[in-house]
Amino acid sequence: MKKILKWTAIAVLVLAVAGFSAFLYFIPPFFIAAPETFSKPMVDAAPGVADIKDPAERMLAERGKYLVVTGGCMGCHQTPGPQGPDMTKYLAGGMQFHTDAGTFVTKNLTPDTQTGLGGRTDEDVKRVLRCGVLPDGRVTMYRLMPWGSYSSWTDEDRHAVVVYLRHLPPVRHQIPDPVMQRTPFKTAGAMEEVYAGRDYSVVK
Amino acid sequence: MRYGSAIAALAFAAALGASTYLRAAQPAGDAVTRGRAIYQERCVECHGVSGKGDGRASAFLTPRPRDFAAGRYKIRSTETGSIPTDDDLIQSVRQGLYGSAMPAWSTLLSDAQIRDVVVYIKTLSPRFMAEQPAVVSLGPQVPSSPESVARGQAVYERMQCGKCHGSDGRGANAVATDFQDDWGQPLNAANLAEPWTFHGGSTSREIYLRFRTGMSGTPMPSFRESATDAEMWDLANYVGSLARKPVWSMSADELKAQYASEEAGAKADPVKRGKYLVDTHLCAICHSPIDEQSHLLRGMYMAGGQVMRVVPFGDYPTANLTSDKATGLGNWSDDEIKRAVTRGIMRDGTRMPPYPMDWTAFSALTPDDLNAMVAYLRSIPPVSNNVPPPTRPFLPIYLWGKFKMLMLQVDPPIVIFPGNVGSAGGSR
Repeated sequence: MKKILKWTAIAVLVLAVAGFSAFLYFIPPFFIAAPETFSKPMVDAAPGVADIKDPAERMLAERGKYLVVTGGCMGCHQTPGPQGPDMTKYLAGGMQFHTDAGTFVTKNLTPDTQTGLGGRTDEDVKRVLRCGVLPDGRVTMYRLMPWGSYSSWTDEDRHAVVVYLRHLPPVRHQIPDPVMQRTPFKTAGAMEEVYAGRDYSVVK
Repeated sequence: MRYGSAIAALAFAAALGASTYLRAAQPAGDAVTRGRAIYQERCVECHGVSGKGDGRASAFLTPRPRDFAAGRYKIRSTETGSIPTDDDLIQSVRQGLYGSAMPAWSTLLSDAQIRDVVVYIKTLSPRFMAEQPAVVSLGPQVPSSPESVARGQAVYERMQCGKCHGSDGRGANAVATDFQDDWGQPLNAANLAEPWTFHGGSTSREIYLRFRTGMSGTPMPSFRESATDAEMWDLANYVGSLARKPVWSMSADELKAQYASEEAGAKADPVKRGKYLVDTHLCAICHSPIDEQSHLLRGMYMAGGQVMRVVPFGDYPTANLTSDKATGLGNWSDDEIKRAVTRGIMRDGTRMPPYPMDWTAFSALTPDDLNAMVAYLRSIPPVSNNVPPPTRPFLPIYLWGKFKMLMLQVDPPIVIFPGNVGSAGGSR
């Protein structure tokens, strides 16, 4: 009787592990849902421009919105939440990049004066998009912030992007400074890793 | 599902990039040493460590960053073939080059620092040791007036400027608008109606200097032999008169007309519009394989084959986006390309993760823009590079990774490998 119980337990355990493995094996990681399940919330989250009174500015912001949405800004400048990007904090930043060079956190692009772009001039923002040069003169890595691609925007389209960014709802979200590794060259030429983490509150 | 957070993949040259991010040591020593310290901090990302204009970001920029080793400069106040003066170089650094990725450093560096950088840049070419700049003499300036502009228009036609810049200065009826410079790099003829993109600035004197001195290394010649000083001033005034209003000072009606004309232009030339979209929508960053120093592999623009390892789901080599029939998009239908771009479904029906290929963002592209994108992709010269299909890791690793992601809510990291795994070689 005891033996039967023991073997039953083992069999159940084996079956459970096998079943769970099979479940893990067959469940598609992202692919259960239709593509629109991923793309539509990302696209719809972009704040509209209908509330802008000045018609010329509204048209510029409309163009800027199209460029911001299709240009993939939200891919990195999203604010991670427990269930994917926090769509109520559009472009408030906070995604973490752990790289061999150090840890970088994407910036808050909303016009909040203390934690976002509110304190930056239009020229500062355009300079980053065109030249990858930050207001303090440092050069960003084009692989991290792909300014090499955005540099191909015409000056007029870049202006439209800035007009749109200025009209985002401001979100107070403090982004920590990057933390550089002490020996950033140790793996130069070897495999380079990038992790996207969602624990953005603590940077070590 | 917490998919978006790993689009992060775009970021992978991090180890090397630190050099540009770290603050340099306290400047010391002579001007060359000080200049070198600033150069290595601010300039190498584009101009390269050796100054050959081959920095990591250079391949994405049109026009390309200057090659300091060659000692040839476009923006000068000196005769054709001559080296520029110190003031020319200082002015370019201070003011930046409009319409390119060169920022105005005057607000970021002190005048003394800019002078030091220029001293260092000059040491990169032996020409500055051997030669003296031959400064051009400018004739008396002809102030702009309707008569001067009319005379300038006659000069414009006589010189056949319209062959490259268009009869209206905006490329209309131009024989050619896409060029290569002496280094084989792409180059566009300037749109003369947009003075804010003139690399060397848009004052009459600056415009005058461009065709007085020519732009070395480009098809833009010097008109010294074929026009008098006064005629060139007239021409400068004429070019100045072509300027249209930029969008930031337009009224709503003007803006509407401007955007409508842009749309019509995009419809008329979808390949050009498509190139703009592909250039600005990050395609080349992943679909052009890089070497271990993050430089694009030669001749592999858009040829794919760079491995993106989405842990634990496998290695996804980027697709060959050239028009090659056998290995690229040559045999894809338009709808198949659009489906991959906007919905992440590959040709055989398998699904792509929502990252690193950002099809969630591209799903918002308008139908016209998608058509334009496809038209441009079809025009990319074919490169034969047979990219292997995605691979899956050892089963228990795969299951463990999936368990971590689904049950422990750990984001799948992405590892990006330099090199090309396709048949064209340069494999990792």
